[in-house]
Amino acid sequence: MNNRQDLPLKNDIAARFVPKIVALMVYLGTLCFVFTLFMIHLTHTWEAEFTNDLSIEIPTFPGTPSSVLQARVLHLLNKTPGIRQAAAVPQKDMANLFNTLLGEEINIDLLSLPVVIEVAFDGKESVDTQILETHLKNISPHIQLLDHRTWQSQVSNLIHTSVLLALLITFLVLLAALATTTFATRTSLLIHRQIIEVLSLIGATNSYIANQFQINVLKQGLFASILGSFLAFLTFLGISLLLEKAGLPFIINSSFFFQAICIFMLAPFLTALSMMLSARWAVMKALRS
Amino acid sequence: MSEMIAQLVGVGHQYEEGPEIFKGVTFNIEKGSFHFLTGPSGSGKSSLLKILYLGLKPAWGSIHLFGEDTLKMKPLLLPLLRQRIGVVFQEFKLLDHLKVVDNVSLPLRVRGLEARRGHKQAQELLDWVGLGDCIEAYPPSLSGGQKQRVAIARAVITRPQFLLADEPTGNVDDEMAMKLLHLFEELNKMGTAIVIATHNSRLLKRFPYPQLSIREGAILKLPTQVME
Repeated sequence: MNNRQDLPLKNDIAARFVPKIVALMVYLGTLCFVFTLFMIHLTHTWEAEFTNDLSIEIPTFPGTPSSVLQARVLHLLNKTPGIRQAAAVPQKDMANLFNTLLGEEINIDLLSLPVVIEVAFDGKESVDTQILETHLKNISPHIQLLDHRTWQSQVSNLIHTSVLLALLITFLVLLAALATTTFATRTSLLIHRQIIEVLSLIGATNSYIANQFQINVLKQGLFASILGSFLAFLTFLGISLLLEKAGLPFIINSSFFFQAICIFMLAPFLTALSMMLSARWAVMKALRS
Repeated sequence: MSEMIAQLVGVGHQYEEGPEIFKGVTFNIEKGSFHFLTGPSGSGKSSLLKILYLGLKPAWGSIHLFGEDTLKMKPLLLPLLRQRIGVVFQEFKLLDHLKVVDNVSLPLRVRGLEARRGHKQAQELLDWVGLGDCIEAYPPSLSGGQKQRVAIARAVITRPQFLLADEPTGNVDDEMAMKLLHLFEELNKMGTAIVIATHNSRLLKRFPYPQLSIREGAILKLPTQVME
């Protein structure tokens, strides 16, 4: 590829606004893509942390002691096919949870906390939660069965929709960057029509002329997208620090951080390459016609 | 039978709704031949040259260049034919943003030669046409005559098989005109077919080559030493 520039493309009006637009597009696009990756990562982490499918609450009330009810419920659960594990949440964990929510100064022992039994399915045999609930109500009508799968599925659907939306936005941003490149290239072709005519008359092939444009677009694209990606990285870093300050450092862990860095590094090259190819396509199409 | 560089059969042209410039033009240009293209102003000399260097598609007729039917060729292959032709444009068509040396070496770069080697050849040629001290200048700073010599240097740097020149001596003094014509003669001796459109009667007298003369839209092949 001949790197020499025979066309004065650097002085074009288009050359002045394209890098700014592309830098902005890359900034938005990479942030959006990293957000998508973050959502996917969060969903996986969240789903992996869910080991129980059902929770059963046995409220404390005068009459039958909750320990007796707990034993009867556990007995029922252990003999129900499809249930892998059923265990009561230790009172200490319950106390910690309430202390987090209500503050350390609250004496948990004074509260009549319910007994919570977490249930995990084995995944081999399906469990009819309606029948199970009927059996539980036979033990005590105050026992509550909470099926997590329903809301888990709703949240999961919501996250997946957000991911698709974010991917669509990223795609549209990239498309806008490419459309800008194509438009700017066509403008340059018109501006330099006479020079292109001279080049053609002295034997330049369409490919030679297209090379002139694509090299220029590649340089512009690399500069602009590196700038955009670097600014996006700074924004991401700022958000990470804010989350860490807010006491949520686990949200952006090292594995996700590494993936995000890879995207910030790859995005400029992929964008510049796509811009280069779209410029070449625009020139070749125009010269053919 | 000598090798044909160009064969025009029944070529005619008119610009949009305008009158026919010429019609039924038929002639051959053989390898190593030297012709002057003459005719009054507006007779269509420049248009005919444009057709020959594939800058204009004629309205009628057929053109074969180097044995190829140019009107039936794939457009992608036309640059390969153009690379075998050198052209001195009447309006020079120099690229104002490039230095003189870059303008002259442009045809070599287009053919894939590296810039450094192209510059060396361009410098030698510029020395020969008396512009050795202008290699770093830009065309807008040159006079008409200097631009013309740069345009000639650009046209001959590739030693083309076919050289077309539109009034190549129009902006230079007689001495330089003779020098340039000698350069064309040297190229011609090396096998380049040359067609020069000119009005310069002194040139026609001094260099007695056959003339292709456009008269009333048709072309006449005048024998050697026939005066305008």
